[in-house]
Amino acid sequence: MRVVMAMMLGVALLASGCASKVEYGDPQARETVTPDFGSSDLQMIATKMVDDMMVFPPVAELTRNRRPVLFVDRVKNKTSEHVDTESITDTIQSRLINSGKFRFVDMTVVDRVRQQLEYQQDSGMVDQSTAAQMGRQIGAEFMLYGNLSSIVKRDNSTKDVYYKFTLKLLNIQSGIIEWSGEKEIRKTRSRSLFGL
Amino acid sequence: MTRFLCRVAPMLAVLLLTACSASNMSRLEVADDGEHLQLYSNNGLLASRLSVEEVRRKRVNDLLYLQATLENGWKFELDFQYKIKWFDQQGFELAPESQPWRQLVMAGRSQANVQAVAPNPSAVRFEIWVRE
Repeated sequence: MRVVMAMMLGVALLASGCASKVEYGDPQARETVTPDFGSSDLQMIATKMVDDMMVFPPVAELTRNRRPVLFVDRVKNKTSEHVDTESITDTIQSRLINSGKFRFVDMTVVDRVRQQLEYQQDSGMVDQSTAAQMGRQIGAEFMLYGNLSSIVKRDNSTKDVYYKFTLKLLNIQSGIIEWSGEKEIRKTRSRSLFGL
Repeated sequence: MTRFLCRVAPMLAVLLLTACSASNMSRLEVADDGEHLQLYSNNGLLASRLSVEEVRRKRVNDLLYLQATLENGWKFELDFQYKIKWFDQQGFELAPESQPWRQLVMAGRSQANVQAVAPNPSAVRFEIWVRE
């Protein structure tokens, strides 16, 4: 009897252990698979940066009657892990554009834009009345740039990760930093008694 | 038989404990139509422990800026997520896929202010959703 029950239990455990399935989840849900930098951190940072920047009075004043032109330089990844910082700045950029308060120029596509302009101007294939003209692009007034740094501490049972994201808005002409925002994130992983 | 039960019982206890860790969805919705505050709850445990004390709003550069004061009425720490949904005049949700769940940890019997800025100037109404 005992053997039969033990076997049934074993089979049940094996069957559940082998089960594998793929499911769609909520991309905005909290993700805590590991303490490494994850999607929730990216979303929290982007939301905080955009919210802070929008309500900072001098920035609000700048955007009251016009939509300043910005460009995103880059966010330096000073953490020990690989983080796609361009993805963070892309999200921040999208939110700023969609607020209707800012416009952006994209410095990552300058070469391709130049190629297209040269094609329109010099190839002889494009009707000149519709060709985009050289020298008509709008110069960016502000630059967004920043840092992502981390402090990691661990012992036998605990890993603590502290992230700090800093973003700055610099007036290109005057060199003045008009706004600076910070977001701190602390994540701790502790192993339980049974390692579950 | 007793020995067998002694062996199996801890295993079952572990399985039960892991089953209990599944996320407990609770909902507390604060809808602000500009005049009065409506509170909805699906009678979850979280909703019974959490209350919205005050909602303040102002326009900053055409954008709706809100601050909600949440109170943890429970004597222990409350660890939950909240999300703010924004709606325009016609009731359309704004940027529904760009509003993340944000984490909030509140000490027992404490208050916390959550702040958010609308994604664009057309927002006139918001809802606060919470879940564990």
